[in-house]
Amino acid sequence: MNDDAPSLGRLEVRLGHLLVTGVIASAILLAIGLGFWLSGSHMTAAAWLLNAGLIVLMSTPILRVLVSFAEYVAMKQWFFVGVTVLVLLELTVTVLVALHRLSAFP
Amino acid sequence: MASGAIAGCLGALLGLGGGVFLVPFLNAWFGLDFKTAAAISLVTVIATSSAVSAGTAGRNLINLRLGMLLEVASAAGGVAAGVTVARLSDITLERGFAVVTALIAVLMLTRLERRNVIVDTTVDPGPLGGRLHDEETGGEVVYRVRRLPVALGTSFLAGNVSAAFGIGGGILKVPVLNAWCGVPMRVSAATSSLMIGVTAAASLPIQYANGYVNPPLAAAAVLGVLIGSRGGLWFGLRARAKWLKLLMAMVLGLVSIIYLRKTL
Repeated sequence: MNDDAPSLGRLEVRLGHLLVTGVIASAILLAIGLGFWLSGSHMTAAAWLLNAGLIVLMSTPILRVLVSFAEYVAMKQWFFVGVTVLVLLELTVTVLVALHRLSAFP
Repeated sequence: MASGAIAGCLGALLGLGGGVFLVPFLNAWFGLDFKTAAAISLVTVIATSSAVSAGTAGRNLINLRLGMLLEVASAAGGVAAGVTVARLSDITLERGFAVVTALIAVLMLTRLERRNVIVDTTVDPGPLGGRLHDEETGGEVVYRVRRLPVALGTSFLAGNVSAAFGIGGGILKVPVLNAWCGVPMRVSAATSSLMIGVTAAASLPIQYANGYVNPPLAAAAVLGVLIGSRGGLWFGLRARAKWLKLLMAMVLGLVSIIYLRKTL
């Protein structure tokens, strides 16, 4: 356990950077979108920005799992590679169901 | 937006998503239907999760391995909840929720003085345990993870509850990890905060596709929660574990009473 503590610490910091980037990007999109929406002008742009912000927000945790997967592969910790793959499979099911619903009811 | 800020502050403090406060507010006061309130709240859960985890990353509080292992169960719970919830009425769900929160509040109160850490640093923390610097004793402490099946089962339930009520699910995981699985309070909260993002992402895209997410309201709630979670994070790193537990028990009791009154 203690041999890989530094690399786990590095992963924690890297994930932290990824999460903060995702949050800031989505907050900017949502804030500008909300501003447009409240002003009542540029409603198409407002809808686009708001939805883009929400999608960036939803994607951030999924990206976090993808980065963890790559890092565990690099660390050759196969048990946790397997665990991460399971989580990714579950998230894939959700995204596929969502895309199916979106295409069924546009 | 103000309610988002308060919810975010308390959420960050307790490792909950803050949805526990936002859902009753949006549902009962703002007059949104339950599914819309829950979906908007789930959006803020992801925002809280990312923001809080970004803030705690590097402090050795997040247990990444335990978190990922439990995410298998919580994400499965999130995916499965869509099916489960459709077969139950809102009243049944709300009553169940009131009972569960009341039980956890009682559990929390009985464990106020308990500490899970082993001060002897030569003890092997095992593959899932860890070490951390303890603010209260000023030294390094070790903990081991016990009763892993309990943690996995709770995470699955938390995933269900998260998707159904628009809360993070930390409300279930944090007390159980702390009281039964040997994980220190701050590690439970930090790990849960990281997990709830993935848990919410396992069900929110479906709700988004169903049109339950109102984009402008969700944006306002997210911005409020992001502002509030900064305050909660600052306070959470300084407050004593005992007071965190007491505050959590009070919050749970209040939520329980609100839901009981709603359904009776």
